[in-house]
Amino acid sequence: MTEFHEFMVAILRSGTPLVYVTMAGVIAQRAGVWHLGLEGVMIVGACATILGIVLTGSFAAAIVIACVLCVAASVLLWFVIEKLGANPIIAGLGLTGLGIGGTALAVQALFGSLAAVTAPFGVPRLGAAFGPYGALSIFVLMMPFVVWGMWVLLCRTRFGLRLAAAGEHPLAARSVGTDPARVRLIALAAGGVLCAIGGAELAAGGLTIFAQNMTAGRGFMSFAAVIFGAGHPIAAAFAAMFFSLVGVAGIRLQLLFGASIPHDVLLSLPYLATILGVWISGRMRGGAKAATEASELRDY
Amino acid sequence: MSNKPNANGLGAPLARLSRRRFLAATAGVSAVVGAGTTFPLAARADAGLVALVHTQAAGDSGPIDSMMGRLNQLSEAQGFETRAIYAQDPATYETVLRTLGDAGASIVLGTFPVISEAFKAVAPIYPDTRWIQLFGDAVDPPIGNLVTVSYDYYLGCYLSGIFAAHVSQSKQIGFIGGISIPPINADFNALQAGVHAVDPEASVTAAFAGSFQDPAKGYEIASQMFLDGIDYIQTDSAATDGGIIQAANEREGAMVSALDPAQYPLGPASVIGVVSLDFGQSLHNETSAALGADWQGGRHVPTGLGSGVIDFLRSPLYQEQGPAAIVARSDEAWPAVEAARAGILDGSVSVPFNTEL
Repeated sequence: MTEFHEFMVAILRSGTPLVYVTMAGVIAQRAGVWHLGLEGVMIVGACATILGIVLTGSFAAAIVIACVLCVAASVLLWFVIEKLGANPIIAGLGLTGLGIGGTALAVQALFGSLAAVTAPFGVPRLGAAFGPYGALSIFVLMMPFVVWGMWVLLCRTRFGLRLAAAGEHPLAARSVGTDPARVRLIALAAGGVLCAIGGAELAAGGLTIFAQNMTAGRGFMSFAAVIFGAGHPIAAAFAAMFFSLVGVAGIRLQLLFGASIPHDVLLSLPYLATILGVWISGRMRGGAKAATEASELRDY
Repeated sequence: MSNKPNANGLGAPLARLSRRRFLAATAGVSAVVGAGTTFPLAARADAGLVALVHTQAAGDSGPIDSMMGRLNQLSEAQGFETRAIYAQDPATYETVLRTLGDAGASIVLGTFPVISEAFKAVAPIYPDTRWIQLFGDAVDPPIGNLVTVSYDYYLGCYLSGIFAAHVSQSKQIGFIGGISIPPINADFNALQAGVHAVDPEASVTAAFAGSFQDPAKGYEIASQMFLDGIDYIQTDSAATDGGIIQAANEREGAMVSALDPAQYPLGPASVIGVVSLDFGQSLHNETSAALGADWQGGRHVPTGLGSGVIDFLRSPLYQEQGPAAIVARSDEAWPAVEAARAGILDGSVSVPFNTEL
C-alpha cells in the first residue's frame, strides 16, 4: 500500500505543474489562441517564484511577483498578436525563447552568475495531517478545485460562452456586443496566473531550485494535453495527468528493466504517449479538428 | 501607375516586396547585425582574444561555470579579452568557429565531443589561431594548431564505486546520468566495476533523466531509487543534480556523490563526496600553455588521476555534519579508495573503458 501511495505522490507531484499550465492552454485555446508560449510563461513563473523567495523571504510576495510577471508576459503576447497582427504560433514560440533567455538574463543580472539558484523554502506543504500525501504542496490540493472551477467558468457561465464565441466565431461575438480582442486579453491574462502557479509548483513544490531551461518541454507537453483533451478543461487535465503517469512509469521501468531494455526507449515513452494521445484524440473526439476550427483569430 | 494603397493597406512599393525578398533581406540584416554584436572582435584581435565556445548552458554549478570562472580569472591576471559563446545548435558550430577565426581570435577553446567535427573542419583554415578542444578524442592525422584534451572521468567513478561499496548499508547503489551517451555509459560501468571489486553481490542500477537541466526529473528518479532501498547515488547529470541532492536531503542516511565541490553546501548531510573533474583547472592549464611562445599544437592530452583535474573527493562538510555512523564507515573505507587510486596510477589496477550499457 505504501508503494501505491508513493507512486500516486510522484504522479501528483510531477503532474500538477502540467495541469495548471494545461488550464492556461485550454482557456487560451477557447479564446482562439494556440498558445505555444506556455513554456516561456511557465519558466518565468518558476524563475520569479524562486528569485522572489530568495529576494523577499516571503512565499506570498514571490507568488505575487510571479503572477504579475507572467500576466505581463501574456499581455505582451496578446499585444503582439492582436495589435501587431503577428501569427499567434510564431509569437508564442518567440515568447518561449524570450522566457528562457530572459530568465537566464535575470539570474545573471541579479547574482552575477548563471548557476542554479536555491531558495531556503518553497511552496507550503500539506503537512502530516495528509498522511503519505503530506509532502505535497498546497497547489496540489488546489488543483482539482481549479480544474472544476475552470469547467464551470468555461462551460456553465455567460463569460465562457463569450470566450468560446470569441474563439470560434469572432464576428458572431462582435454582433452581440462582445469585443473578441478584450476577451482574449482576459483569457491570456488568466492563463498567465495559471502558468505562474504551474511554474511555482515545478520549481518550489517538491524542489526549491531554479535552473536554466528547467521546464524542459513541459509547456509543450501541456499544449499537447490541450489538444489531447480537445480543449475541454477536465479532459485536458486528465490528459496532463496521463502524461505524468507515463513519465513516472518510465522512471519505474528504467529502474526495473533498464538492464534489458535501452534507456532511450524507456525515456521516450512520455513523448510516444503524447503522440499516441493526440492521435487518439483526433480520431475519437475530433480534438485536433476542433482545435483547428477554433484557431482563427481574425474577425471575419 | 497608381500608388494608392492596395487591399492590404500597403503602398505599391511595399506590396512589390515579395515575402521571399523580405525574408532574404531580413536574414542578411540579421547575419550582419549578429556578427557585429556577438563578435565585435576585429578591434580586439590585436590584444589577443581568447574565446570559449561552450555547447552546454552555463548555470550548471559544474563544468561550464567552472571554465567560465577560470577563464575570467586568467583574463584579469594576464590582461587579455575573452568571450564566452553558448553554441546551442550543432548546425551553428562551424559558423561560430569560422567567425572567430575570421576575427583573428588568438585562442579558441571548445567544449565536449559534439564540437569535434567543427574543430577539425575549421582549425586548418585558420593556422594563426590556436585551437583547443576540451573533452575530445585524438585527431588522426594530427592538425598542427589543434590540441585535444580527453578526461578519464570514469576512473573517478571507479573510485566512487569502491567507496560506495564500503559505505552503503543496503548494498544497493544508484547512478543517475543526464543522457545515455558513450562517456556517461562508461562512467556507469566504471562505477559498477568499482562496486563489484569490493562486493560482487551488490546491485548497481542506472537511470537517465534525458536532460542535463531537469532537476525536477532528477528529484523524481532519486526519490524512486531511495524508495527502492538504494542509499548511495552517483550523479552524472550537471544541473539535474540539484533535484537529486534535494531528494537525498529529505531522507535520513541517503548519500549522493556529485560532480563538483560547489555542490557540497547543497547537501551538507547528504553530499558525501564528488567525482571531481575540474574543467576550470584544465582550461587554466591549457590556456596558460597556449599563451606561451613555445606552445605545441598537433597533440592529444589525456588527463587522468594524479593530474589535479580528476579525482574522487570526500566532502569536508559531510565529515562535519553527516550521520556519525556513515562518517565512521567512510573513514574506514578511505584507505581502500587510496589503494585503488595508487593501483590505477602504478598500473596494477586496470579499469575497463566500456561505453556499452
